[in-house]
Amino acid sequence: MNQHVNSSRMIVCDGNEAAARAVVLARPDVVSVFPITPQSSLVESLAQFVADGALGAELINAEGEHSVLSALQGACLAGARTYTATSGPGLAFMFEPYVRTPGLRLPMVVSLVTRDMLSPQCVWGGQQDAMTVRECGWIQIYCEDVQEVLDTVVMAFKLAEHKDVLLPVNVCHDGNYLSYGVSRVELPAAELVDQFLGQPEVNWHIALDPERPMSVDPLTGGTGPGGAASFVGYRKSQVRGMAAALEVFSDIHAEWGERFGRHWAPLVEEYRLEDADIAIITIGSMTGAGKDAVDAARDCGQKVGLIKVKTYRPFPREAMIAALGKVKAAGIVDRSVSFAWDCGPLHQDVMTALFASPLRLPLVGFIGGLAGADITATHFERVIAETTRAAGGNVPSSPVWLNEHD
Amino acid sequence: MTDTHAHYLIVGSSHAGREALAAIRMADPKGRLVMLSREGRMPYSPTILPYVASGRSQPDRVGLADAEWFTENAAELVLNAQVVAVDPAARAVRLADGRRWTYDKLLLATGAEPVVPPVKGLDRVRYHVLRTLDDALSIRERSTQARRAVVLGAGLVGMHAAETMAAAGLDVTMVEMRPHVLAEYFDPKASALIRQTFERHSVRMMMGRRLLWAMETVPGSCRLGLDDGTELEADLLLVAAGVRPAMAMLADSGITIDKGILVDDRMRTAAPGIWAAGDVAQARGFLTGVPVVNGTLPEAVEQGRIAGMDMASDPDLIPYGGGIPLNTYGFFGRHAMAVGTAAVPEGDGIETVTDEGNGQNGYCRIVLKDNRLIGLAAIDRVMDAGILWRLILRRTDLSPVRQQFLSHPLETARALMSRGWR
Amino acid sequence: MPSQDTIRFIPERCDGCGDCMTACAKAKGGASRISIVGSGGGGWDIALCRQCGDPKCVANCPAGALDKHYGSGIVGWSQDLCVDCHLCTIGCAYGGIVFESAAGHVQKCDLCDGTPACVPACGKGALEHLSAAARLHETHADKEDLFVPGLSACQGCNSELLIRHTMRRIGRNSVVAAPPGCIPGMGTVGYNGQTGAKMPIFHPLLTNTAAMLAGVKRQYERRGKDITVVALAGDGGAVDVGFQSLSGAAERGERILFICVDNEGYMNTGMQASGSTPFGSWTSTTPVGTVERGKSTDGKYLPQLMMGHGCAYVATASTAFLDDYHTKLEKALAASRTGFAYLHVHAPCPTGWRFPAAMTTEVCRRQVESNFVTLWEFTAEDGLRFTHAVDRPRPLSDYVGMIGKYKHLGNAEIERIQASVNRRVAFLKGFCRQPSAAE
Ligand SMILES: Cc1cc2nc3c(=O)[nH]c(=O)nc-3n(C[C@H](O)[C@H](O)[C@H](O)COP(=O)(O)OP(=O)(O)OC[C@H]3O[C@@H](n4cnc5c(N)ncnc54)[C@H](O)[C@@H]3O)c2cc1C
Repeated sequence: MNQHVNSSRMIVCDGNEAAARAVVLARPDVVSVFPITPQSSLVESLAQFVADGALGAELINAEGEHSVLSALQGACLAGARTYTATSGPGLAFMFEPYVRTPGLRLPMVVSLVTRDMLSPQCVWGGQQDAMTVRECGWIQIYCEDVQEVLDTVVMAFKLAEHKDVLLPVNVCHDGNYLSYGVSRVELPAAELVDQFLGQPEVNWHIALDPERPMSVDPLTGGTGPGGAASFVGYRKSQVRGMAAALEVFSDIHAEWGERFGRHWAPLVEEYRLEDADIAIITIGSMTGAGKDAVDAARDCGQKVGLIKVKTYRPFPREAMIAALGKVKAAGIVDRSVSFAWDCGPLHQDVMTALFASPLRLPLVGFIGGLAGADITATHFERVIAETTRAAGGNVPSSPVWLNEHD
Repeated sequence: MTDTHAHYLIVGSSHAGREALAAIRMADPKGRLVMLSREGRMPYSPTILPYVASGRSQPDRVGLADAEWFTENAAELVLNAQVVAVDPAARAVRLADGRRWTYDKLLLATGAEPVVPPVKGLDRVRYHVLRTLDDALSIRERSTQARRAVVLGAGLVGMHAAETMAAAGLDVTMVEMRPHVLAEYFDPKASALIRQTFERHSVRMMMGRRLLWAMETVPGSCRLGLDDGTELEADLLLVAAGVRPAMAMLADSGITIDKGILVDDRMRTAAPGIWAAGDVAQARGFLTGVPVVNGTLPEAVEQGRIAGMDMASDPDLIPYGGGIPLNTYGFFGRHAMAVGTAAVPEGDGIETVTDEGNGQNGYCRIVLKDNRLIGLAAIDRVMDAGILWRLILRRTDLSPVRQQFLSHPLETARALMSRGWR
Repeated sequence: MPSQDTIRFIPERCDGCGDCMTACAKAKGGASRISIVGSGGGGWDIALCRQCGDPKCVANCPAGALDKHYGSGIVGWSQDLCVDCHLCTIGCAYGGIVFESAAGHVQKCDLCDGTPACVPACGKGALEHLSAAARLHETHADKEDLFVPGLSACQGCNSELLIRHTMRRIGRNSVVAAPPGCIPGMGTVGYNGQTGAKMPIFHPLLTNTAAMLAGVKRQYERRGKDITVVALAGDGGAVDVGFQSLSGAAERGERILFICVDNEGYMNTGMQASGSTPFGSWTSTTPVGTVERGKSTDGKYLPQLMMGHGCAYVATASTAFLDDYHTKLEKALAASRTGFAYLHVHAPCPTGWRFPAAMTTEVCRRQVESNFVTLWEFTAEDGLRFTHAVDRPRPLSDYVGMIGKYKHLGNAEIERIQASVNRRVAFLKGFCRQPSAAE
């Protein structure tokens, strides 16, 4: 074991605390918070860390998520590394400043402790909140377990602040299953994280700074002279930043693996896919149960593999196509709904990716885990069975709702 | 750009020119601004000259603008620069000494010069005119030696001069062709009051007489023959028989001239890039609509400002409202004023109301048309000439306050204006 | 051009007693230089030198006897140089320079070297010596104008005045937020890559101005930098959708100055009603028809709400009283170093309220003189203090009658507004430490 790993330490905590500890390591300048289930314990931890002096950030206890994100925008424009976390209705309330953040190219990190959306009234996990904002220009990363939450939150700062990217990042971890799920995690040493992240440089491109006076976000576009070209210029560069994120994030993961000895798949993880006939595609904490189901099926001789989506926005099209190229059919398990397409949003993205390649294979859609419902190994057995049937040409026309009878 | 190219070139350094210069600088702080004057002195007003002639004003203290003023206004004053020709096509002017200035925009504010009537023998006697400071100084000098003075012409220039000469102890006679003094401003009754004051101060007022001949007696003095046979002796002869616009330099320029240089309501002449203002200009008359040469200081100021604003494309410019005869006049401790057509006779829709103040408390004549003020003359009455001027220009309907206005013109006019700007 | 002192005449208060003229004649020895004249119908008017900025009397003087003193602003007259031609009286449209036969020369007001005798002589309060402009000029003229010279504001809008004054005062070491509305609409933040101010300035959302500024300020505080952080927001961004973030920031005591420029509606987007729109107002969303007659409820009075937020400083202001505004701006800036400072500036909108552009300042003045707008400041320590108490308010109809958006109102409705104005004044008085100390 090298010295880096030696100086880390093992702790036991839930995903919310892991995220909070990652924030401590990232040393943001300004953290603004407002509590919401199932994120509350995360911001409580942050407040405690600040109270204890473990986190030397300005803590703004704003009066709502709208102001939380707004305060961070101001801070970021003044040069601050910034962080917050929210969930479900909080994200909805935050929406107005939220949609604006990528356009301002503010490299924030915001954890989404995912939650199903109202209504029906519910306070439990589900990814409907995060999926609802998947087209806002934020980078979205989904984590599988508590350790990945911790590592990814730290890496997310490096991704957001990378000069080729310069976009805000949502690190999503599932409400209930990750927010409250406790496990043993390795906490990297602070000095090593400092070396990994470096000093924040967040407002070199746009600033509210008397030493560099400028007008931030003047009216742009319209049919006036240069308006259209100017607006297109901004939008295209935003798209370029998004596209660059895939490679940058891969490099960051490689570096992380080198420095800390944990190698996560940055975009999609292929699990036992080499000789698989079918794949199940997962996102978030369900992946653990999915992998168990794959192992069990393998034990029974079924050639099943798993594709875990980690980076969801930008969508890792090439990686997904490469993985799908190895199988004859795929079953996609979504934890939310795309109302327009009568399928899950991930399903829709996979279809789109396939269309952009010569590959054609049957896809089966599954929707499960809404409003805190569990997706168990049993559910995945069904996923495997349905997908196997689809590989034989029997493709259901609409999604299978995994918890329909639970 | 050369040393002798100005964006704004102003010819003439008196009221119209000065006001134009200031107005240009309000709107355009930068464009090169040069003022040419044929004088060798800093700018002064012709109106001050009678007081210089009398010794009341010191010639070195009558400046309209000093070097500091030009610096503050980022403008250059070129003295001894008499313009003798204007070439609108080349946008250039030529000076008497051959120098040449080019311009983008030119203002002619050359004022007026005295008219000397063609009287037999006049060219062979010593006489004075009064338009320049040198004229005033030479009158002043002559006054100390002279005993008998004759003033030809009872206009403002002549009246001012006559008074100062009388005050200096000279034996003064005025000769005026017309039956009344200051006939362009005052009606016969008011004129008579003014004339009588002069007579009380021992000035001989020979009205309705014409000078026929002049003849030198001893060097510097002369004898004058009038049309009624009267002969006068003069040690000092002042010819104040009127003025005409100083526009000789336009002779071959093709610019339209009449009695003066014809201008529109923005003081633009017919030639592009050339403006004219003041005594040299002939602008629309307010009441008649016919272009007139007005020849008064307030009009020169008004026109100069309009010309300057237009030259500098000042968006706040309000075009000329039209010229109105107006003047204030102090004489022997009394004071008179006339605004508008105060001298016109009654009739033809014109109403006049005269208040003779029992022969003691001054005099006031109000002239109305359609219940609007068109003229007012007063002697020894406190009146705000400026307010009355604006009441006329605004064609203020006096019907609602007619009685009040006629009985208390000062207060009523003040109240009307006060309400207007408050 | 520098500003100058002037004497203001309030005709409603004048009863023609002539005490001012007596005082002037006594102070100056001779005829009075101020003249009160009957205007018919029992009213009174005035003739008095206005100490013009571009005086025509001076232009008309051939003798150099009149002169505008750019320091004091007074148009001075020199007996020594005067030749009694009286041409100056032709230049003056105000009856401000007059030939007096007793004196034998023209006379004019010289403001008695800064303490005009006529003003205190008037027992009715009909004369006011306005010296603020000159004072302001002295303190602010040399400060850099940080605002763009050309703007697309509506004619007569007083926001430009306010912004220019404010930016001059706060200077370059500041960050300014201008949420959507008339203020950025007139070009304050700029268009397509061009800025409207020579300082860091930005568009927050309509809703999050105070929060964004709080973030800016916190970061600079963290770095140990003292930077002035100011919001120039409209009433929509303060009273309505912006209220939550404003309230939150105030409660947290964020060290920022929030200036609400209240034009009583969403004027930039076409004159829709806001929470600040007063009862009876026509707006495009509270139109006047056969059934409805403008806004049916009173406006929300934000400054009063801000008093309940533990702010370091709360004050109201009017651009007709710029000296008062500057005093408050000064205090508010100081307060914003220790806590939240809130200034509420009333900004009549010629376009949206339908009154002539030239009348804006008069409208501002009448708002205050009728108590429709009250000028006060509040701190937790000293309570509320009226900075321009109006003891004898004009009838509200004097103000309402000038404004097109009220033109459909009948007496009963005007009385209703009057009643709510009276209630508000009484209510505010309750916040005075010693109600009798209200000036
Ligand atoms: C004795 C006297 C008394 C007066 N009293 C009164 C009065 O009481 N009330 C009243 O209203 N008006 C009076 N006036 C008239 C008044 O002075 C003029 O109306 C006024 O001065 C006109 O101003 P101006 O700028 O148009 O021209 P002017 O004052 O005539 O100035 C013209 C300027 O142009 C210069 N100039 C002329 N030709 C040339 C050239 N070719 N090249 C270069 N420079 C040139 C002259 O040197 C002069 O500086 C009086 C005039 C005189 C002479």
